[in-house]
Amino acid sequence: MNREEVNNRVKKVIAAVLEKNVSDINDGANFVTDLGASSIQSIRLVAGFEEEFSIEMDEEKSLQVQTVSGAVDFISAYL
Amino acid sequence: MSNAIKPHPLVNSTEPNLLHETFDYSLPPKIKFDGPIIEYIDGKSVEFDTKSLIKRDIFITDTTFRDGQQSRPPYSVEQMVRIYDLLSKLGGPNGVIRQTEFFLYTKNDRDALDKCRSLGHKYPECTGWIRANKGDFRLVREAGLKETGMLTSCSDFHIFHKLKFKDRKECMDSYCEVVEAAFEAGVRPRCHLEDITRADIEGFVLPFAERLMRMSEQVPEELSAKIRLCDTMGFGISYPGVELPRSIPKLIYKLNKECGVPSNRLEWHGHNDFHKVLINGGTAWLYGCDALNTTLFGLGERTGNPPLEGAIIEYISIKGEMCDIDTTMITAIAEYMDSIGVTIAENYPFVGKHFNTTRAGIHAGGLRQSEQIYNIFDTSKLLSRSPRVAITDKSGVDGISIWVNEYFGLKGDDRISKIKVHRVAQWVMDQYEKEGRLSTITDEELESKVKEYMPDFCTRYNGSLKNLK
Repeated sequence: MNREEVNNRVKKVIAAVLEKNVSDINDGANFVTDLGASSIQSIRLVAGFEEEFSIEMDEEKSLQVQTVSGAVDFISAYL
Repeated sequence: MSNAIKPHPLVNSTEPNLLHETFDYSLPPKIKFDGPIIEYIDGKSVEFDTKSLIKRDIFITDTTFRDGQQSRPPYSVEQMVRIYDLLSKLGGPNGVIRQTEFFLYTKNDRDALDKCRSLGHKYPECTGWIRANKGDFRLVREAGLKETGMLTSCSDFHIFHKLKFKDRKECMDSYCEVVEAAFEAGVRPRCHLEDITRADIEGFVLPFAERLMRMSEQVPEELSAKIRLCDTMGFGISYPGVELPRSIPKLIYKLNKECGVPSNRLEWHGHNDFHKVLINGGTAWLYGCDALNTTLFGLGERTGNPPLEGAIIEYISIKGEMCDIDTTMITAIAEYMDSIGVTIAENYPFVGKHFNTTRAGIHAGGLRQSEQIYNIFDTSKLLSRSPRVAITDKSGVDGISIWVNEYFGLKGDDRISKIKVHRVAQWVMDQYEKEGRLSTITDEELESKVKEYMPDFCTRYNGSLKNLK
């Protein structure tokens, strides 16, 4: 899976969990400060990524990822 | 005293100093003294050796069946026998719970005493309680008891206004006649100096104690009079520097050192009217009184007495070891008391339903990472009660994760990550944010949602509300 495909699918999950339009989600956006994710939404994002990509990520490390592009990098390492 | 400020530079470390010597998780935290206590008595400084407390044979006595019953409907014989049996198991073979006292006036009282003794336990030894009435020794003799408590109230409130003596001498002579009758009957008298923290210490209490000591010189050691210091109204104060009659240090010092009442014949009996009951009991131990009189869960007249289970934990904290005490019996007794209708507040230390329940999400997060952060000691091992979280809007995903893992009985690496509980967590948040809920989420509701949102885990693991204890 190439990076662009991962990026698109990550944004699809973010849009669903945070109730945003995909077009409003920038690669450099911070989940908390730019996209307004609460703590429980952060957990739901990680759960959403795991389901979308059929992977199981390290809980502590995945919750430390702060930006959209960071999430793409982090997930790509599992694929 | 110098006003010079002492510098305290940071001692940087990459390794945590968790103070294991004091906070050994397998025990209640140790009470460690680093010097003597100085108390000024009659203008002179007196030193009390705190370290001797570890070596002294301090112990607990129980009055659940006497003072404890004065605050509630009587226990049945069967209930008293069950409680006595559990008390014996709790205190262990060293007799940390050394004695328990019984009324002797009704058939129910005497039946209970007989059946408790028929269990054959060495500890707690059964003693009696009677009014200061010579005729009542017949009851003590018939019961075959070696020791009985007797009322010898010592404040002028009692001497003059309750008992209507014409003067103190008449009162003291009357008490001593009953003590003499106890000696003649071969029964050790334990004189309950009621209202001692409101008494004229120099004018009545110390002269009475001296007379009791003189009388005791005439009888074998096993009959010599004991003195129970009864803080009837909870007026006793633990702080150094307090004047008599409220000063516990001075009361004990004067009886112990000036009147010569040995520590093993001094007992403190407190009441909780000013929220001081357990610390006052511990203070009595500290200053030279070996026996601390208690009731289970502090149940007793008005605001109650020193809680026995609190004294047990204090004892272990002072001694720094378990001393063959079975602390899990505290929970067993609480469960039994609950089954017979005794109500214990949910936040009551060591036994209340929520005594080790965390509600705040940030605390639950700490608990999830390391139980010791928010649990007082290993309550799973010592009290058969693992730390819990109560689920509200403040619990966060951490709290729900702990609940789910407890529900499935999962520990260590088997624990489910909080990522997997997100649907349950979202349902909880929606209850408060969308449904306007104000109450705590019940265990039954959470179980229902775990079954709905985490069916795979329910298939894999044996979830049960019984795991949540």
